[in-house]
This record gives sequence, C-alpha cells and structure tokens, in this order.
Amino acid sequence: MYNLILEQGLEWEEEAGCKLIISVASGKGGTGKTTVATSLALSAGYCQLMDYDVEAPNASFFLNPDIKHVKKVTIKHPYFLKETGADLSKCAEFCHYNAVAVVKSEVVFFPELCHGCGGCLLVGPEGAVRERDVIVGEVEKGSADPGINFFKGNLKPGSMRTVSIQSELDKSLEKSGLVIIDCPPGNACSMVFAVKDSDYSILVTEPTPYGLNDLLISIEVLKNMNIPYGVIINRDGIGNDEVENYCKRNNIKILLKIPNDIEIAKFYSRGQTLIEYDKSWKSKFESILKEIEKEIGR
Amino acid sequence: MKQLTIISGKGGTGKTTVASNFIKLARDHVAVDCDVDAANLHILLNPDIKEKEEFIGGPVAKVTGECINCGKCEEACRFDAISNSETDIEIDSVRCEGCGVCEYVCPVNAIELKSGRQGDYYISESKFCTLVHARLNPGAENSGLLVAKIRNIAEDTADKNSKRVIIIDGAPGIGCPVIASLNGVDYAMIVTEPTLSGISDFIKVFEVIKFFNIKTFACVNKYDINLTNTEKIYNFCLKNDIELIGKIHYDDKVPMCLSNKEFIIDEPGSEAGKEIKKIWEKVKEYLYPN
Repeated sequence: MYNLILEQGLEWEEEAGCKLIISVASGKGGTGKTTVATSLALSAGYCQLMDYDVEAPNASFFLNPDIKHVKKVTIKHPYFLKETGADLSKCAEFCHYNAVAVVKSEVVFFPELCHGCGGCLLVGPEGAVRERDVIVGEVEKGSADPGINFFKGNLKPGSMRTVSIQSELDKSLEKSGLVIIDCPPGNACSMVFAVKDSDYSILVTEPTPYGLNDLLISIEVLKNMNIPYGVIINRDGIGNDEVENYCKRNNIKILLKIPNDIEIAKFYSRGQTLIEYDKSWKSKFESILKEIEKEIGR
Repeated sequence: MKQLTIISGKGGTGKTTVASNFIKLARDHVAVDCDVDAANLHILLNPDIKEKEEFIGGPVAKVTGECINCGKCEEACRFDAISNSETDIEIDSVRCEGCGVCEYVCPVNAIELKSGRQGDYYISESKFCTLVHARLNPGAENSGLLVAKIRNIAEDTADKNSKRVIIIDGAPGIGCPVIASLNGVDYAMIVTEPTLSGISDFIKVFEVIKFFNIKTFACVNKYDINLTNTEKIYNFCLKNDIELIGKIHYDDKVPMCLSNKEFIIDEPGSEAGKEIKKIWEKVKEYLYPN
C-alpha cells in the first residue's frame, strides 16, 4: 500500500493504519546489513530509517542525513549521603547487578554495573539515597534525501546501556508508513530488541561457514518470535553453496544475491551505496519491498 | 600469563580469521571465543567437546501469584517491561532486566524473579590448544556474564596447565560482551578495515579500551580497498599511541580457505596469509617475553 502512496507522492505519515516495519539483521557482523538497509531506504524514497546498531551506527555514512535534533539519553544513578550515617547494607543486598557494596560500613558504588532501576532508592533508609541523571548516549534525528526520516542511536563508549538507547529509539518509531531498522549484529538481547516490532526481517549473510553458522542462530531467534523472514546473500561467489542449499532445502526465500565485487567494496569504503554503484539495484530493492508486502499480506 | 583480546568495533572485519590463525601459530596457550551469540572460532579449530555446562544467567520477573492489578509494579518499572490490561499484568521478558523492583513493590507477592538456563559453555580440545567457548541461547540476555564466566574458566585452565598465553576472540560492538572481554587483559588488538564505518567503529572501540589502559595494537584488513582511509587510520594510531602492527591485503583466498576449513596461513601464495604470519611474529614478542 505504501507503494501507492509513493507513486502518488502523498505524505505517507498521514496514511493511518498502513505500517510496515522491516528489520535488517544478521548474526555475523559485516555481512552487509547497513548496505541493504540504506539501499532499501533509498529505493523506497519515503520511509523512516532507524539505526538500532547503537554500538556501531554506520547508516549515516551512506545517507548523509541532516541532523536536526540530538537528544541525550540518561539513566538514573544513585548517590549516597554518607553524612546521614545510615546503614546502606540493604541497598547492597538488593542490587541484582552488584553495583552497590558495603565494605567496612562504607558504601561503594560501581557505576558501570548500574542499570538505573531505582531499587536502592526504594529499599534504602529514607533520605540517605538520592539519584542523578547520567548520560549513557544520545539519539539523533534528521532527514536525508529523498524523503527519509532518519534516526540513530549512539551508545557512549564505556557504557553498557545498549538497550537504554534502543529503548529511546522505540519512542520515535513511526505508527504508519514504511520503517526500516538497521539492526546490531549478533543474536543476543540487543538484536532481539531491534527486531521485536518487525513485520518482516531480512537476514543478510555471506556464503561461508561463519555466515551459515550465524544465520542458523538468527533464524532460530526469528522463529521463536514468529517474525517472517527472507535471506539476502551478500558477496555471492565467495565460499561455497551451503547457505543457498540450506535455504532451498528449508523453503526459505532468498530475496537477493549481491555478487562479490571489489568495486562494491570500494564504493562501500567511501560511504556509497549499491545504488550509487549501479542504478539498476534500485529496481531490485523495489521488487524486494513489493515481494515482502505481498508475503505478509499488505 | 599474558592475555590478548582481538576486537574490532565493526563486525566482519576479520577478527576470527586473525584469531584462528594466531591460535594455530601460538604455543603454550588457551583460546577463548567471547562472541558468545555468534561464535565461530570452533569452525576452523574443530575441537572435541570435553565438558559442557549450563549457563544460568540473571533472572527475569514472572507473575506467579494472584495479581490484584494495582499497577504498582508498572509504575515502579524503569524499563517499561510491565503493561497492564484490565485484569492482569504482563511482563515483557525482552525488556525486563531482572532488577527485582516489581517483586519488591508487589503488595501480594504475585511476582517472582526466576533464573533459567540461558545457554551452555564448553571446554574443548583442539589440535592446537584448549578452547573455551559458549553458545548463548538464541536471543538471550547476559552475554557479558557469560563472557566473564568463560574467561574465568580459561584463566583457571591456563593456570592449572602452566600455559603462558590466552588468545581471546571478542565480539563486535562496544557493549557489555566487549567490555567483559577486555577487563584485565594485557593487550588488545583492533582489527579494522579502511571504510568510513570501520574507522568510526575503530575510534569508538578504542575509547572503550582507554578506560582499561591496555597496550593496543591495530591491524588494517583489506587495506588496499581504500588507501586514503588506511592512511587516516595510520594517523589516528600515531596520535593515540596505538601500535600499528600490520596490514592485510584484500584476498579472495580468505573466504575460499574458510569454506574448505583451511587456515589462510597454510595457503601457498596467499598475501593475506603471509601478512598474518608477519603480524603474529610481532605480537609474539609481547606475548612471550624472553
């Protein structure tokens, strides 16, 4: 349905009820998630692109968005008023992350372990625990040509609050139109967090034993979450046929194969997408969007 | 005992290729695969699993009693993990971080924190050394805890068998598993590539390394795909006291060898193989002093 909107050049945001969230994920890193996500976004023209790879966000290099807002993401850390002389051992006992300890009746706080749950404030002696905001990263918002609403999260190096940044991005997810999510690599919680609201997931892989091994784990994640998916094989021609054979044996749709080509790698290194490399890729990504739309009945 | 962690920031720059070839070249060592949700080191090392243990991660909240729908837990949860319907509450296990606040505020003890198996870890023997590795359940949390766990085991194994070196293959990114794989090591090696993404993530992961004050090496993989960017990485290293320890050609033989389950250092005529050997010769000086 959004294709129709694109053809008519309508403001897609106003079309209530039509929403399609496509996440681009990959167990193995560096297989081409960002290449696929940005090429899809440019092919669609009008969409929201969310870079959920907040530990290593790279989509902006390919879309060159004009960033208009930067919002700091904070969590609350406790601080302890030692002069009250209160016994803070309850805080230490409660903390599931071992971020608070009481050693020889002195309270010790390990900020890097704190999730900001507020538990110590809740269980500690009244007046002895207070909280302050601590910056764990930021979320940037902007726009890129032709009509891309761009969002990216940025985890502050040293912080372990990946999901706090992703959670902040969640608040900006469009309620309608096409949303493309560039996911973090891997198959752990931050990947689950990025794909959880998807209507469809594209798994990008490469035809090597590493690519296959990590693809199988990603497939398991998506199956557990009941998210339909298809596969894109990048650097097709290297390695062997095992990924392709696996997909065929298991009736998994191969949406696209991108050939192994050092020229594509050179374009990528300069922040240029597949479409800049060769315009004919645009129609291939448009067909993928149509195919996905059809498969999930939009 | 000396420990070396290989990381990259950006995924797919060649960490595991470098790590597995180092492991073949090293002696008196133990290997650890800290990329626990997408582990690949075992593919080339092809070890026999000797011990397998369950990994019990941190807990998540579950509704186990009669909920009176008072909404206190929803209000207290800082992770938006609890939603209220008319009759009941629902806890989103993806968002729940197991802090225990909901359990504490519940007036009728309807919520309990429950831990479960979140994966397995293995002690295996390969032709070259002991490999400690893991498999986090697909989609599970606590990858940082699991990394800490397998590193402890590797240290114990190395101690017990008087091994001199631990080689650690890290995870991509800069989050908890990466931090857990850097904690307390002697050397970090960043494998990067001369792309805008590679450089950006390189700088980020170096910011993390700086917290630990670890001697850092860098190697540029596929350096010839963009010489301008390779030079930028060189300059960054010079300014930041990172030892640029080598560069590796773009070489299609690398994925080909991997598909044949062979090591690139054994491939005659492979530029990348020769370069990885050369890098190892330099790293070796640090890992095996005198």
